[in-house]
Amino acid sequence: MRRLALCLLPLLALQLAACGARPDDAAKVTRSPDDLLGIWVPDAAPRELTANGAPPPLTEDAAAIYAEHKQRYAAGDSGYDPTTWCAGPGLPRIFTMAYPFEIRRSGDYLAFIYGWYRWFRVVHLDGPEITEIPTPTTLGYSVGRFEGDTLVIRTVGLIDTTVMDAHGLPHSDQLVITEQLRVLPDGRLENRMTFEDPETFTRPWETVLTFHRDPSARVTDDVCPDRLAAGEPAERVPPEGTTVAASPAPASAPAAPASSASEGAAPTTPRLAGLWEPKFFGILVPEAKFSPLGQQIVDRNAKEMASGRIMHTAWTSCRPGAISTMTMPRERILVMESPEEITILYEMPRMVRRIRMNAEHPQNLEPSYVGDSVGRWEGDTLVVDTIGFNGYGELGAHGQPTSPQLHTVERFTRAADGTLDIEVIITDPEYYSEPVRIKRGWKPSESRLPQEYDCMENPREEDFENAYYMRDRYRPVCARVAGKGMELSRMVCGKWE
Amino acid sequence: MRKIVSCSLRAMAWLASAAVAAAAHAHHSTAEFDYTTQLTIQGTVKEVQWTNPHSYIQLIVEEEGKPPVEWSVEIGSPAINTALGWKKTSVKRGDKVTMLLSPARNGKPYGTLRKLTFEDGRELIGVAGSMRSPPPALAPATPAQGK
Repeated sequence: MRRLALCLLPLLALQLAACGARPDDAAKVTRSPDDLLGIWVPDAAPRELTANGAPPPLTEDAAAIYAEHKQRYAAGDSGYDPTTWCAGPGLPRIFTMAYPFEIRRSGDYLAFIYGWYRWFRVVHLDGPEITEIPTPTTLGYSVGRFEGDTLVIRTVGLIDTTVMDAHGLPHSDQLVITEQLRVLPDGRLENRMTFEDPETFTRPWETVLTFHRDPSARVTDDVCPDRLAAGEPAERVPPEGTTVAASPAPASAPAAPASSASEGAAPTTPRLAGLWEPKFFGILVPEAKFSPLGQQIVDRNAKEMASGRIMHTAWTSCRPGAISTMTMPRERILVMESPEEITILYEMPRMVRRIRMNAEHPQNLEPSYVGDSVGRWEGDTLVVDTIGFNGYGELGAHGQPTSPQLHTVERFTRAADGTLDIEVIITDPEYYSEPVRIKRGWKPSESRLPQEYDCMENPREEDFENAYYMRDRYRPVCARVAGKGMELSRMVCGKWE
Repeated sequence: MRKIVSCSLRAMAWLASAAVAAAAHAHHSTAEFDYTTQLTIQGTVKEVQWTNPHSYIQLIVEEEGKPPVEWSVEIGSPAINTALGWKKTSVKRGDKVTMLLSPARNGKPYGTLRKLTFEDGRELIGVAGSMRSPPPALAPATPAQGK
């Protein structure tokens, strides 16, 4: 009987459409994209991917590389895995990490916002297949479509410097990943991934990863280099045999974003959603009026630079604060919009900013690089107020400092010609005697997807004698050491002075 | 046809130069390099480090009667390089190339690329080569040692 009912379902959908139901309504019956939205926590953090229990079908050469990586892993050396020094884990490695992630959707874009080091991945829904790859990246270029209740994503253009699992499963840049994501009857999310890479595997193979809901889970602003500096590993791994715990929200953390259900249920006309790029390139930080203390710091920086030293700021040490998204961006931004939250994904500096709409700042804010942003509409202008910064962030390459007193107000206005004006007022009485004002123009991007910016701390060993760190926090833990003769360089993490 | 191509290439180069000039400001100070000096080196590519925020080409330069010297040449971030027409695989280990660069002020075998030329005459422009004017002087131009 059940089988009969299932067979009749498509017919029923067709019938509904034929009876005058709008095509959109019919689509909602058979396609349930909203079920996938929201925060998911991995059921496990497998160190090794299997082809449904069997070893992946590796070619002889690839098998030798994997065996060598496994030996190194057993000896405590994960130097083959870029995550070790906070570089991009890539696909599918990022799904094997014990960090929650959120799936958000806005128009033709679906984004995975990962809990590990500010990574996000944008999928172009219902777009044409990607045939041109400008440059391979760790998360590649993804196009998705719904087939019934299953989201099918095809990803190409994956850079060959990542590994597929923590034990170092290799792949080439010919790797093509097809994911099938659906919510199982028990409420968990299943990602059925198929890997095709003739340079690495003798045949296509499949693995299945699952994820669950946890109301306490949050996707927070994780800054990997700070964890390394604190002596923690780049990747937090739960003890073997235990399930992955959701990372608890700090006491002062704002409420979780709206659930997937309400996100889908409260449609409003998005006003800013889409992919934007700057109208023009230029120097974006105007002359600032410094306080005596601020002047002292920029003078000190200028003196250091004048002596030929390389100055390192939060930006160059891959820890930019939200202030950098206001003063320095020259790349694309993706705005995702729902009534409760506007999420902005910044290409460079790579960052996810969340603007809670019609909300208040919490009383006891935990200072952070991104601060706490709340927004409201004033007519057609989105006004974003941000406080709660941690004082690590500079306005520009001259090292114009910020303090925890930093307060920013951004006004996003859609102009009549369809472009976007963003005006920022930066106030920080600790270092500036007057507010700093910046105005910028944006236009809809002609690109389909944002570009990836895999910022990694990669100072070179020989740079150290010439480096000047604005703050001690910006000192790197890992550095690139040149190989002797024709030997390749390698990243070494440890104490660098 | 050729004219059109060269014209649009020029336009692209102009756009890229504007982009790169802004980026050069955004990322970090450029005080470490002496933009008033240009130097040509020839050698064999040992490694291309295609990484953010900065990428490098390691070049082994051999001169008769001297031990080989390894040069590090900064080539901008992957996004900037892509805007300038590079691909990750444009330069490979073992390629024999000529590099025009602005050297580091500290006299070490280190510099920022202005132009790279392959043996067959193909060229790639570096960040420093794409700028219409050098970055504003943050530093007094101390003569580079040993150049």
